[in-house]
Amino acid sequence: MSSRESILAAVRRNRPEPAPLPPVADFGGAATVEQFTHWLHFIGGQVIRLAAGQPLTDAVRQLYPEAVRVASDLIPATVPVDQHTPTAVLEAVDVAVLRGELGVAENGAVWVPEANMLHRALPMISQHLALVLDHRSIVATMHQAYAAVQHTGNYGVFIAGPSKTADIEQSLVIGAHGARSLVVLLR
Amino acid sequence: MSHPLRAAAFTSDAERTTWHDETLWFVRQKRDKAVYGIPEFQQLRQLASDIKEHTLSRLDEYLEQFEQNARANGVQVHWAADAEEHNRIVLDLIRKAGATSLVKSKSMLTEECHLNPYLVNNGIAVVDTDLGERIVQLREEAPSHLVLPAIHLKKEDVGETFHQHLGTPKGEKDPQALTEAARLHLREKFLIGEVAITGVNFAVAETGAVVVCTNEGNADLGVNLARVHIACMGLEKLIPRTADLGVFTRLLARSATGQPVTTYTSHFARPAAGREMHIVIVDNGRTRQLGRPDFRASLKCIRCGACMNTCPVYRRSGGHSYDFTVPGPIGAILSPNIDMRQHSSLPFASTLCGSCTDVCPVKIDIHAQLYKWRQIIAQEGELPAAKKLGMKLLSSVLARPGIYRLGGKIAREGLRFLPHGLTHAQALNPWAKARELPEAPKQSFRDWYAQQAVKQ
Ligand code: SF4
Repeated sequence: MSSRESILAAVRRNRPEPAPLPPVADFGGAATVEQFTHWLHFIGGQVIRLAAGQPLTDAVRQLYPEAVRVASDLIPATVPVDQHTPTAVLEAVDVAVLRGELGVAENGAVWVPEANMLHRALPMISQHLALVLDHRSIVATMHQAYAAVQHTGNYGVFIAGPSKTADIEQSLVIGAHGARSLVVLLR
Repeated sequence: MSHPLRAAAFTSDAERTTWHDETLWFVRQKRDKAVYGIPEFQQLRQLASDIKEHTLSRLDEYLEQFEQNARANGVQVHWAADAEEHNRIVLDLIRKAGATSLVKSKSMLTEECHLNPYLVNNGIAVVDTDLGERIVQLREEAPSHLVLPAIHLKKEDVGETFHQHLGTPKGEKDPQALTEAARLHLREKFLIGEVAITGVNFAVAETGAVVVCTNEGNADLGVNLARVHIACMGLEKLIPRTADLGVFTRLLARSATGQPVTTYTSHFARPAAGREMHIVIVDNGRTRQLGRPDFRASLKCIRCGACMNTCPVYRRSGGHSYDFTVPGPIGAILSPNIDMRQHSSLPFASTLCGSCTDVCPVKIDIHAQLYKWRQIIAQEGELPAAKKLGMKLLSSVLARPGIYRLGGKIAREGLRFLPHGLTHAQALNPWAKARELPEAPKQSFRDWYAQQAVKQ
């Protein structure tokens, strides 16, 4: 008998009495820009509200005056990136400016599906990350977030703030392996 | 060696023990703050528990559904009955990929299977990429906590390790500088990584996706730069629906570190064009645990670590004192299933205060299971001799009121006159290490009660 068969047989033999699956939960909650901003700040990120009519390019230039290599499909990029871009090129990206699909008010997370990433590694390998989000795309909690996303696709990530670690004596350090900073540009 | 002996080694450094205790208590307090901010938190715990219980009751069906969906996504699914088969499968995949090195993000399962030494013995260079795991890997130690692998170390220790292995300046102990050094060192490894191994936090039956939660971004960076992704999971990681992730992602990070959510919650379902993805589903004793009605609830564990942060014994004895992949209260109920003889002292490493059960986000009755393991261990004759003798003596005394009364009298009189050095001789009375006996009362409760009755 293969391991697959023997494992499944052991599970069938040993599984407990049937227990019901609870219905999908939703506890409501506040889907506000204020909550989202509060939590993103709490976890080390930053929220910038774009003024009406303010071009994205200007906002990005103001935020990252020194960034030379910018990857984006939302503003004119200086580094073209697609799924075939070699690692050496990706590694040199200063800032990636990508579209976030959905924000979560209770924790500052932003849903970024593969389609928005240009390359799957870009959001993590880029030194800094800016996510552009429509303020009407903020939901209250992870329940509503998964309800809105429905299917998580081939690959997708909820990104909540910059990469961080507290593995040395519990001291929080921002910028572990992924982006050193995260800004959400709300429009 | 038993837990008390290993704990004694840890507590011999009183200052460090206090620091360890306080640091973990601080994490517990952060958890409380995060939890109190969510009015429905207790309902979420119940939901999580119910979802897991349901999943376990139909686990075979969900495993098959998951496998079918993963295969449809172009993922290759492998099954391993035990640690050895798991390791063999992983090595095979690495060899087929023609690789000699790999990057690995956090996976307690691969620790449980002792994958690293196995691969190294077979000529594969393994780099753990989670900062804490990398630290303990360089020191050739095991992680001492589920989510804080290097919590037993001080920054000076890490500084010394990095000085030796990464060439940071001697005496550098600033966490920021040390983390930056690790970032640069590990980036090089990510860039040349051919194979990436990750653990799995949740496996979603209805989509075939695996979900990995990290704060550092190391899982995503590793997987998305490598040609081959191998995700290793215990078969209890299954959940039925994507919607169930709403419940678990709200509980996991809050319970673990007090964060509202982990920085990266990543959903891997299909490999990128031209790349490979494999999932290894491992049993290694889990189906046996499923067949033990008293202990199967331990399979609901989502490895948040809250039970160890709150445990008065873990906090003061350190993760290594458990000498098992999963330390703390949950480790103490998982380990006897793997090897009761070797781990027979672990269910006794508890005050049975129940704090672990109170904080567990999936409502495992941890302290009740600790108590049940103790009885089984006693029945199987695995108690240490002193404890066995003590229990025998106590039960014969308790069964004979006359002897009990006499013993009480001797103790009351004796304690007043015997020298401290004798009553607290540590060789005779280990209870008295760091403890004082109360002053002996002049009268027994029995005598006092009889007097009251006379007065009335
Ligand atoms: S037993 Fe509960 S509290 Fe302990 S690690 Fe598992 S889920 Fe967390």
